[in-house]
Amino acid sequence: MDLFNLRKFLQKKDTIKLIDSLTNSLGINVCIADSTDTVIYGADNRNHSGLPVIVNDASVGWVYGQDTAKSETIVTLLHHMVKTEMERKALATETLDKYNEITMLYDFVEKVNTFNVKEIANFLINQVLAQIKADNVLVILKNEISGKLEIAAGYGTTYDIGKELPQQTGAVCDIMLSGKAAIINDCRSNSSCVLDIGNINSMICAPLKAKEKTLGVVTASTEKSYNYCADDLRFFCTLVSQAAFAIDNARLYESLKGAFIKTVHTLAETIEQRDPYTGGHTKRVMSFSIAIAETLKLSSRERERLELASVLHDIGKIGVSDNVLRKTTKLTDEEFEEIKTHPASGQQILSYIEELRDIIPGVKSHHERFDGKGYPEGLKGTDIDLIARIIAVADSFDAMTSDRPYRKGLPFEVALSEVKKCSGTQFDADVVEAFIKACSENKIRPAEPGK
Amino acid sequence: MPIILIADDEQHIRMLIEQTLETLEDEGVEILTAENGAEALEIIKEKRPELVFLDVMMPKMNGFDVCHTVKNVLCITGVYIIMLTAKGQEFDKEKGVESGCNEYVTKPFSPRELKNKAKEILGLI
Repeated sequence: MDLFNLRKFLQKKDTIKLIDSLTNSLGINVCIADSTDTVIYGADNRNHSGLPVIVNDASVGWVYGQDTAKSETIVTLLHHMVKTEMERKALATETLDKYNEITMLYDFVEKVNTFNVKEIANFLINQVLAQIKADNVLVILKNEISGKLEIAAGYGTTYDIGKELPQQTGAVCDIMLSGKAAIINDCRSNSSCVLDIGNINSMICAPLKAKEKTLGVVTASTEKSYNYCADDLRFFCTLVSQAAFAIDNARLYESLKGAFIKTVHTLAETIEQRDPYTGGHTKRVMSFSIAIAETLKLSSRERERLELASVLHDIGKIGVSDNVLRKTTKLTDEEFEEIKTHPASGQQILSYIEELRDIIPGVKSHHERFDGKGYPEGLKGTDIDLIARIIAVADSFDAMTSDRPYRKGLPFEVALSEVKKCSGTQFDADVVEAFIKACSENKIRPAEPGK
Repeated sequence: MPIILIADDEQHIRMLIEQTLETLEDEGVEILTAENGAEALEIIKEKRPELVFLDVMMPKMNGFDVCHTVKNVLCITGVYIIMLTAKGQEFDKEKGVESGCNEYVTKPFSPRELKNKAKEILGLI
């Protein structure tokens, strides 16, 4: 503990008042010096004998006065006041430490709950580095399929992030199995600390535990000669357990989302199966659409919407009869009218799925034209959802470049110049521009002719 | 010598802020405390602190009223007032603006940020 600063304490109004009134009532003049014997109260009269003020076995200052017995009273008062102040200070320091911890945790819990495991792992590392002495931090997760331990994120490590941990034995694995956190302060003589992160001296390891499952292990280690203590461990464990819940949630979210996307693709595949002449159409429209979205720098939210809408854009064709859908000769007007119902049927079908409602404009309007001459509603310009304007270009380009029973697909360049020709009339000029750019960057790969 | 006033009816909050700002005392800053709004107002009138941490919910006089009196009635200048408001009890921004406070901080505050803020306001950085 730092030596008590008597000078600072004697600058406080209440303290001075007390000493003033006591010296007055005793009718004495005293001089108080700090532990370095510098006068901090009263006129210098250090020619008189000095009495030390000893608190907790250390001299915090001196009292000088003519009357030793009376000076003794001042010493007693000072002793009592300093002792109380030191206790108050110790309490205040501890309270502040705890408060720091609480605000840090508050902040951590608020920010750690993203749906991205990598983000969570990196956030955890930053917080650990900010709070605990460490040169290296590793977030190790067990691969749910292979059962192997992998480095999810790391600081100060030579490991490849995302790769398997080369040593699937040792301290980390022990903690994975036991599910109990540990401090290892003698790594240099402990052969089980096999981690390829420099010459570590001590480390703390804690399991990432959520709902009885151990998802992985987090290690913090230092190359300096520092011994981790129980306080470090307690704090480390709190952070790690919060992160564990966040990782568990993120994984649940990812798996739900994955299942959802697979369902959507399966739904689209069922339509494709009915119409054998358009094999791979859905996938190509999706890939063209995404290429355009990248060029247009759409937000990730919009890209997700586009991905789903482009996959499901023809879902309404389920309601078109086989003889029309599979017809190999030119369609009659009546048959064409039947085809034209598919965007609206698509809307109808998707309206039952809450999670897909926001992609409906993309599906319903993909046959609208920028000049207002499309169907089903004859929407114009930017009244047409951007997602639909993008799918319109992707869809038409794929239709042109694919073979049909009654015609061969157009060559790439011819189809591209056709798209350019329709820029501003059938298509949104900005989308066409992005499409051309994507073509020039080799991001658009049409159906292979003759297949 | 610059003065900071900490006004909060909760003793542990006063102690925390005092402890947070403790090292500023070494740079010549004087730290004063008040337990209620009326006491805070008296100290502001008498001592003219440069910076005041003012809790919103206080007995005798609430923080908004103290601030309003200082800024709009007594028109004391050169005092920077930071309101302290508890999390969950939404800070009434309109009242804050009306009272003329300079900014507000939500409890639990980050001690480090609070200290940096105080240093910045007192020009100690």
